Amino acid sequence: MGETWTVILGLAAATFGVRLSGYLLGRSLPQRGPLARMLNALPGSLIAALVAYLLVSGGPREGAAALAAAGVAVVTRSLPLTILIGVGAIWLLRQSGWPG
Amino acid sequence: MEKASLTGGTAPEPVAAGLWAGARDVAPLVLGAAVYGLAFGVLAANSGIAVPDVGAMGALVFAGSSQIVAVERLAMGAGAGAAILAGLALNLRLLLMTASLRDVLAGRPWWQVALGVHMTTDENWAILQARRAAGQRAGYWYLVGGGLCLFLGWGISTMGGAWVSGTIPDPRSLGLDFAFTAAFIAVLRAMWRGRESLLPWLVSAGVVVVLTKAAGMDATWALILGGLCGAGLAGMRGDG
Repeated sequence: MGETWTVILGLAAATFGVRLSGYLLGRSLPQRGPLARMLNALPGSLIAALVAYLLVSGGPREGAAALAAAGVAVVTRSLPLTILIGVGAIWLLRQSGWPG
Repeated sequence: MEKASLTGGTAPEPVAAGLWAGARDVAPLVLGAAVYGLAFGVLAANSGIAVPDVGAMGALVFAGSSQIVAVERLAMGAGAGAAILAGLALNLRLLLMTASLRDVLAGRPWWQVALGVHMTTDENWAILQARRAAGQRAGYWYLVGGGLCLFLGWGISTMGGAWVSGTIPDPRSLGLDFAFTAAFIAVLRAMWRGRESLLPWLVSAGVVVVLTKAAGMDATWALILGGLCGAGLAGMRGDG
């Protein structure tokens, strides 16, 4: 119990600190140049890194379901639909027992 | 976009209209977030966190992926400090998101800045950027309207998941654990800016795979290094 609240309060304070620092940092950063371009590209790069990590951490079923989800995401750009198809695909694959 | 930057801070955005537009546009994303909110609630309850504490965590932290990672680490016995650090590392991207909102937040009273940054999440930040890229107006109240909608959806779904955790099957058997991966794939799709994104993303992904699989580095640090490598490449190429 004590550990849970340590994590809640610690993570809350740290996260708010990050959010506020970003605003303060943004006010003082240049609008153009390599640093501005890097900051613009960072969110996409971070999420690409996370997806890559999730994929190599899973097995072939997760890979196949991710492929299905990526197809839906590319075509529909819909978050709910992508989640629905991804979850549906992994459920079916796990039910089927593929690949062995 | 030109209009938005010219009027930024001078012509006031209608409060109610902005709140409503933000809430309306983010609503489909709230449904998506609620799916993994539910899964997170079950995970939290299975890790021994009480329903009110799940709600408090959502309200105070309000950053879903970091809550998931922190609770997972805690459940694995990593200790509070390591759990906070893992969640914090994942949230470092919020620094760049609120930095990019400087013209939305600048010149506001301190409490509005505090509310605005706390209400900044992947979802409403992404739809705000998308709306602005399309040349439509999206300001401070648009951000907050979307954030409040997500705030409610996240609170209800995570507490709901914790509440029913004993009575529904293990979310893994329903495939709900995969909702996180699918959601991140969808967010990545939303962030795709055309061909210029490809090489930085490949570098970012490649660095993470090599560092975690070949070098055995902890995922927390590999993710930050990978993201910085990809973004650094994008910054050094002069085509942005």
